[in-house]
Amino acid sequence: MTDQLTFPDAVQWAVPFFIAAILAEFLWIAIKGRGGRYETRDAVTSLIMGAGNIASGFLLGFIAYGFFMWLWRIAPLDLGTSIPVIVLCFVLDDLRYYWVHRFGHRIRWVWASHVNHHSSQHYNLTTALRQTWTYTFTFMMVVRAPLILLGFHPAMVLFVGGLNLIYQFWIHTEAIGKMPRWFEAVMNTPSHHRAHHGRNARYLDCNYAGVFIIWDKLFGTFVPEQDDDRVDYGLVHNIGTFNPLRVAFHEWVAIWRDATQPGLSLRQRLAYCFAPPGYSHDGSRDGSDAIKAKHLARHPEDHGTPGFERFDKKMPNTQAKNA
Amino acid sequence: MPLEILLVLVGGGIGGITLLLHLTGKSRQRVLTPGSARSEWARHAPDDTVTDVTLTHDGHVALIRTPAGVGLLWAFGADTVARPLQDFDWLDHPRGVRIQFHDFGAPGVVIRLDDLERKHWRHLLETA
Ligand SMILES: [Zn+2]
Ligand SMILES: [Zn+2]
Repeated sequence: MTDQLTFPDAVQWAVPFFIAAILAEFLWIAIKGRGGRYETRDAVTSLIMGAGNIASGFLLGFIAYGFFMWLWRIAPLDLGTSIPVIVLCFVLDDLRYYWVHRFGHRIRWVWASHVNHHSSQHYNLTTALRQTWTYTFTFMMVVRAPLILLGFHPAMVLFVGGLNLIYQFWIHTEAIGKMPRWFEAVMNTPSHHRAHHGRNARYLDCNYAGVFIIWDKLFGTFVPEQDDDRVDYGLVHNIGTFNPLRVAFHEWVAIWRDATQPGLSLRQRLAYCFAPPGYSHDGSRDGSDAIKAKHLARHPEDHGTPGFERFDKKMPNTQAKNA
Repeated sequence: MPLEILLVLVGGGIGGITLLLHLTGKSRQRVLTPGSARSEWARHAPDDTVTDVTLTHDGHVALIRTPAGVGLLWAFGADTVARPLQDFDWLDHPRGVRIQFHDFGAPGVVIRLDDLERKHWRHLLETA
C-alpha cells in the first residue's frame, strides 16, 4: 500500500482568496447599503479563531494523522487515486461531515468544540473562519475511520475534507439571497446555511450539510429559510466576550462546572458531558425541543410550519380554546 | 505553503481588515432606547414580560425588570447581550460600576455612569 502520498493543503492555499473575498463582501455591503453587516471586534475575533484553528492543526493534527495512518496499515483495500475515486471520496466525506456536524449540535462534548462557530451574532464571510481550536478533543476523527478502512488514502480523505471546508466559506454571507432552484435543491447554499446559524426556535438543529443539502432532506433535518421568520444569528444564550480564549473554551469550562458540582449521580455527570446541549439534572434549562414547544405555545399559528413539523398539533390548540 | 508566507498573509490580513473596519466606523457600540432595550430583551428571553427599563445616560446599558426578576442588557459591539442579575458581584469603577458575572462566557461589563446617575444605579444594584 502506498504510504507516501501528498495532496496540497487546500485550506492554507485558500487564505489569500479568503482575504480577497472578505474585502469584496465588505465593499459590496458598503456600496449597496445592504447584504450584511460587519463589526470590528466581532470580525477580528472570528479571524483570530480561524488563525488559531490552523495553528491547532499544526500542533495537534499529528494525533488524527497518526490514527489515520494506523488505520491505513490495517485497511484491507486500496482504491487508488483516480478521479472517480477522489469524487466518490468527496461525496462520502460530505456524508461523514453531515454526521459529525449533527453530533456537534446534539452531543454536548462535541458541541463544546463546535459552539464557537455559532458564537457570533453576525453572519458574514469572517464568520466562516470562526473555527474551533479543540476539535481534536472531541475524538470525532473516528467518524472518518470507515472511509480509510474502505480504501481511501488518509491524505486524500484530508484533502477532500479541506475542499469541503473551503466550499462552506462562501455560503456565510447575506449578500446572496437565493441561488437558482436546481442549485438550492441539491447544494448547501447561503440561504440554507443562514437558517443553520439561526437561534430562532424554528431553525434550531437544522441544515447540518457541508456541501450537499440532500443529506438533510434524507435524514429529516432540512428547514428552508422562511421569508417571514428572519434569521437571528448566534446562540440561544449569546456569549458576552470577544476574547478568543474565552470563545474557544467557554463551553468546556461550563461542562466542567456542571459535571463536577456536588451531589450528582454518575449518570447525571455523564449527561452533563454527553447529553444534548440544554440538559440539566433539575430541569432548570431548556433543550431545543422545549424551546420549540414554548415558541409554539406563544405562536400557535406556527404549528406544522417548517421546523415545527414534529410537534403535536392538538395540545396547544386546546390551550388556545381555553384561553 | 512556506510557513513564513502563511504567517505574513494571516497577520497582514487580520491587521488590514481590522484597520479597514475601524476606520470606516464599524467599532461603534450599540446605543439603546427604551423601546429597543425591550425588544432586545425579548429577543434574548422570549418568555419574559418586561415591566420596566432603566437606561444609562450613554444608552449602552439597560436594567430590565420582569416578573421573574432583574436583568442586565448591554451593548456588545453592534449587538447586545443579556443576563439575569443573579450570581454576580459589582464593584465601584472610576467610570461607574463594574459588574462581574460568574460566567466564563460573559465575564462582566463596565457600566459607565455620570455623577447624576451613579447613586441611583448603586441603589438599583443593591436591591437587585
Ligand atoms: Zn453548526
Ligand atoms: Zn457556518
